[in-house]
Amino acid sequence: MIEDGPGSQHGGQLGPGSGGLGMVTKSQQDDGIKQRPQYSMPGILHFLQTEWARFEMERSQWEVERAELQARIAFLQGERKGQENLKQDLVRRIKMLEYALKQERGKYHKLKYGTDLNPEDLKPPTFDKENKDDHIDGEISLSTSSGTGTATWRQGRQLLRQYLQEIGYTDTIIDVRSARVRSLLGLQTQSGDSDADISQSVLVNGDQPNKRDNQGKRAGLKKIGNLANDNALIDTENAVMTTFDFLNSGNVVEDEEDLSDDNEDGIAADDEAEERLERASMKLKGDNEGLTGLDETDADTEEALAEFHFLESEMGGSSEKHESSSGEDEEWVVDQRHISELKEQYKKERKGKKTRPTRHALQAMLASLGGEDDGFTAGVGDGQSLASSGEAREDDIPSGGQISYARKPMMGLQDDDENLDGGLVLGELAGLTVNNEADPVNYDISAPKEGYRKTWSAKYTLRSHFDGVRALAFHPVEPVLLTASEDHTLKLWNLQKTVPAKKAASLDVEPVYTFRAHVGPVLSLAMSPSGEQCYSGGMDTTIRCWNIPKSDIDPYDSFDPNVLSGTLEAHTDAVWGLSIHSSKNQLLSCSGDGTVRLWSPGIKSPLLNTFTVDSEEGVPTSVDFVRCDPNQIVASYTSSNTYIFDMETGAQVLMLETKINSDASGSNQINRVISHPTLPISITAHEDRHIRFFDNNTGKIIHSMVAHLDSVTSLAIDPNGLYLLSGSHDCSIRLWNLDSKTCVQEITSHRKKFEESIHDVAFHPQKPYIASAGADALAKVFV
Amino acid sequence: MKMANETAPIIRRNRPGTKNKDWCNWEDESFEEMDSTLAVQQFIQQAIRKDFTNVEEILNPPEGQDEGVWKYEHLRQFCMELNGLAVKLQVECNPETCTQMTATEQWIFLCAAHKTPKECPAIDYTRHTLDGAACLLNSNKYFPSRVSIKDSSVAKLGSVCRRVYRIFSHAYFHHRPLFDTYENETYLCRRFTQFVTKYNLMSKDNLIVPIMEDQQTLEGESEA
Repeated sequence: MIEDGPGSQHGGQLGPGSGGLGMVTKSQQDDGIKQRPQYSMPGILHFLQTEWARFEMERSQWEVERAELQARIAFLQGERKGQENLKQDLVRRIKMLEYALKQERGKYHKLKYGTDLNPEDLKPPTFDKENKDDHIDGEISLSTSSGTGTATWRQGRQLLRQYLQEIGYTDTIIDVRSARVRSLLGLQTQSGDSDADISQSVLVNGDQPNKRDNQGKRAGLKKIGNLANDNALIDTENAVMTTFDFLNSGNVVEDEEDLSDDNEDGIAADDEAEERLERASMKLKGDNEGLTGLDETDADTEEALAEFHFLESEMGGSSEKHESSSGEDEEWVVDQRHISELKEQYKKERKGKKTRPTRHALQAMLASLGGEDDGFTAGVGDGQSLASSGEAREDDIPSGGQISYARKPMMGLQDDDENLDGGLVLGELAGLTVNNEADPVNYDISAPKEGYRKTWSAKYTLRSHFDGVRALAFHPVEPVLLTASEDHTLKLWNLQKTVPAKKAASLDVEPVYTFRAHVGPVLSLAMSPSGEQCYSGGMDTTIRCWNIPKSDIDPYDSFDPNVLSGTLEAHTDAVWGLSIHSSKNQLLSCSGDGTVRLWSPGIKSPLLNTFTVDSEEGVPTSVDFVRCDPNQIVASYTSSNTYIFDMETGAQVLMLETKINSDASGSNQINRVISHPTLPISITAHEDRHIRFFDNNTGKIIHSMVAHLDSVTSLAIDPNGLYLLSGSHDCSIRLWNLDSKTCVQEITSHRKKFEESIHDVAFHPQKPYIASAGADALAKVFV
Repeated sequence: MKMANETAPIIRRNRPGTKNKDWCNWEDESFEEMDSTLAVQQFIQQAIRKDFTNVEEILNPPEGQDEGVWKYEHLRQFCMELNGLAVKLQVECNPETCTQMTATEQWIFLCAAHKTPKECPAIDYTRHTLDGAACLLNSNKYFPSRVSIKDSSVAKLGSVCRRVYRIFSHAYFHHRPLFDTYENETYLCRRFTQFVTKYNLMSKDNLIVPIMEDQQTLEGESEA
């Protein structure tokens, strides 16, 4: 009542008369107290509905959370797998080093003493055999050995460490290894460390006997080379360079030492030593075919360096000489790649998670668009080729997308050359290509559709109508919409003029203009493509033409009679449907009087044509221009028949098989028919809960689906023809993927008045807005 | 709704294509059976459609009905139907002839829709008052629910009533033929007068349209 005081002053009543108001309130309050404990059915229902809505919301939140966690789990599992692979690989590497070292030792022994000694060392023939086995199914044997457990692995590692210490490479090797691990894990390689270690190890090497040192070094070199090889393929060029540098410098240093050692030993010239060693190695070659690669190199440092270069070149993919080792090598390389790919893939998947479904959807859509209609020209042709193969798609990628692709296919090719696990790895790569984030860039059409990737949520609630909202239409560009209601008015809403709402997530909007002229409920609405005019059809049989005021108009401006620019009168019953042509200034209307009429508003005699059918067809319920044929219109009838008319002649061109394909009972009328914006497809919304798709050329049904729990009242299609929005008296609106014909999202939106709930739905032509109009006098806008 | 009548459970819908004569042409639903949150509105509209001249019946709430909601829904219905009167006034009542919102010579009503109340022409006053009432009655702040209404919000109904009543009075005193036509079509002023009297939403002094006597004579005529 305190507020009413000033209120009555503002009311401008200059005089007495509000004396009794205080008493009024008191009695009202008493009434209120008396009434309070009574529970009414609607009250309980309201409570239940709000509770239910809350539960639904919580449930959806929880589901989102769950999905996130699941994704996280998948990612972590993937990472774990990657780590395991890495570990396995490292174990294998150690085994290999161990094995190679044994060979070297055996060889060294042979060279020095000419006999196979040490029982602990495996004899060369045995070696050879083992080597061959490894070559054939190295993967299996190695993995089995690594599978024996960490104990064996540790022992092996210890042993290896010992061996390496003997040749003085412990620290370096270990260091390289750790560098590699670090690089694998995406950490930065510390290049400085290894250099320092080199000089240290070189100093240690100085004590070693020359030849042994050389051989040991060679073995080490080879392994290091392999390591480097892997490194290069993984991704850190840095690490490779470091390793190579260190090897080079190490070699140089050792060169000098070798020379001095040689001199000290009294051997005349390097050449002699070289010759001798070469001969020895030739002999070995004969005995030991499997070890050719290892024997190839010699004590001479030049050759060691050469070999090193050779190893480097081996990276390119040719592996003729190192039969045994490179065989294993390649397998490992592939494995490494595999790991890194896995890791990268997981990273990508994680990043691209949100966008991926849409991408798949788009792809699939394009594919089936192509499949559906072969004759459908350029755009669809593109779609076919896009969807048919990853390579073809790459061709179509604009420059932006290519960068991220470039590396993978290259690696794929390399694999092909090596003929190792090529298929498998390519399979992975193919997957990677498909999942590449850069994909959406390909589709220009997808650019303005970002809104569809997320779920829609209610943002604006449009409250101001007193009765059911029958129709709504968006402005072609602005965030502005119009609603038409059974309360006899139309209202203009500017979504940028919101009323700050308390605690509610959605914003309230107040209308900026109210259009009054209809005598009776307003049932249909159409907005001109320019957004400057709109047309409304009502139960008063008229179609009103309006000039839409500017969206920033003062809602309480003075009355401008020119807002109503004209009235189209010819119908003799309620005007139930309006449709406007996107380029021609033409308007279609359908009415309870049984006619469909074509108008050209603004000219002297605006009625251009009238389309009628036999009276047994009932009355038209909805009408639309056939968007891909400028001379056709489509109209649906209460008889559940749908006809396509020629606009010029007014003759029926085709009858869509809507009736045959719907339930036999007479109550299945069509509530809405819309034309696909680009394809010759008509979509009908039925009282029997179905949405059906028809081919405009043959009249045959393309698809039929139970779309809602109650009759489908309204349809809207997005400007690109990818998504369909439907509203139903089951209180929900649903968004459909037009390609897969699957429901993308369902939103419970309005409450029932009698058995009616949702009367209309709409897409904004450009902005990511959708809207629904309800019998509960509300309109809602979703973003 | 011929189709609805054929099937066993009546489905109360105005489907696209419905002819004017079939609009809401379905069997009455008892208030107890109305399970929607908009039951009160349904009930009121059903009673009006049944016989708009039977003001008593229309204003007679179902048993156990919360009075605040009852008043609120009725006022919504009044404002909605007043759109019809506003449409008629838009044609006849132009700002040149009716520069101020007046009824009798006694009062000049200032339009409360503006930050500082101003002397709007009658037609603007009418439109602004109806628009303002639409905003208030749909305000999420004061009327977040249509099934339970706070007492403080119910108190707002009185000022809305006083303002919209001036539309009746202006039409009556300045556009009498128009008013009479409209009144005969809707009985709205009679219903409104009886409504505010019944629920003490306006003082009798403000009810300057002498409609109740009219009504009595009309009723007498119909009975005769």
